[in-house]
Amino acid sequence: MIIRLLSAALVAGFLAAVVATGLQLALTSPLIVAAERYETHDAQASAGHPPVLRSGALPGALPIVLAHAHSGAPAHSEAEADSGAAAAWQPGPGLPRMAFTGLATLIGGVGYALLLGAVMLACGRAPTLERGLGFAVAGFLAVALAPALGLPPELPGSEAAPLAARQAWWLMTAASTAMGLYLIAIRRVPVTILGGLVLLVAPHVAGAPEVAATASPLPAGLAAQFAARSLAIAFVFWAVIGLAFGWAWQAFGRTAPAPAHA
Amino acid sequence: MSTTQTLGTQTLGAAGLRAGEARTAVAIAAFLGLGLVFLAGFAPASALHNAAHDFRHTQNFPCH
Repeated sequence: MIIRLLSAALVAGFLAAVVATGLQLALTSPLIVAAERYETHDAQASAGHPPVLRSGALPGALPIVLAHAHSGAPAHSEAEADSGAAAAWQPGPGLPRMAFTGLATLIGGVGYALLLGAVMLACGRAPTLERGLGFAVAGFLAVALAPALGLPPELPGSEAAPLAARQAWWLMTAASTAMGLYLIAIRRVPVTILGGLVLLVAPHVAGAPEVAATASPLPAGLAAQFAARSLAIAFVFWAVIGLAFGWAWQAFGRTAPAPAHA
Repeated sequence: MSTTQTLGTQTLGAAGLRAGEARTAVAIAAFLGLGLVFLAGFAPASALHNAAHDFRHTQNFPCH
């Protein structure tokens, strides 16, 4: 059975990663790259040089600094004072970067699929297509939508509260929302529903770390578009994980010998 | 652990699974799942951060 669970999670994570990687490369990665250009411009300006167009030729062309703006490429070392290491490894622009985005999506997808399977079995629900989807929607609410209420998906370059505070709030919100949904949807008696509602609301009453309120050279439209696309992709990611997990669980059950019981 | 044995039949959960086995599977899957999600979404090593950067932003993991 552990084999069945792991196999189903691998299949679900893989399928979800294929779909989500395609969507990310088409919808959000271009926005991230565009935002990094603004970030780079900003850092160059604050470092005292004019934002020189390194490509030189075309007026209005953006400098060819597509490299990831977070690990101290020489052009914007100031912006990254916090990340320290100036020579940290980063995937090269273009194909390597896309490949690593895909790899990260695969790892995250398999991880989420394993958690989804673990939760479904722990709740005593045999995974099917419909139940998988139901639990996946709960997963989306817990790790994507609820944290996004306090910490909206951000493009690189938006100043925000310290990382540790945001990670702590994110984890607390995800855990509290998941537990709240469990109490409401699985336990389903008045007292647990009440407790579940409290758990759903509590992290937002406690309040997320401050969102960036400083002016940024980043166009607001770009950021809004990114936030909406990011949530949409997260939903598709989860939906595919849930559907594929339910399907794969059933499929592996058919081929595997039936559990030995009288 | 405390699986009740009734006429040689182990207790079956709602999913038709033996309880002890299910518990082990859940524990292993949860452990692996948390590990992978941590790796993809939270690991602070900057090489890992850079590799997973676009995924982290898109999936709204706190980044930088």
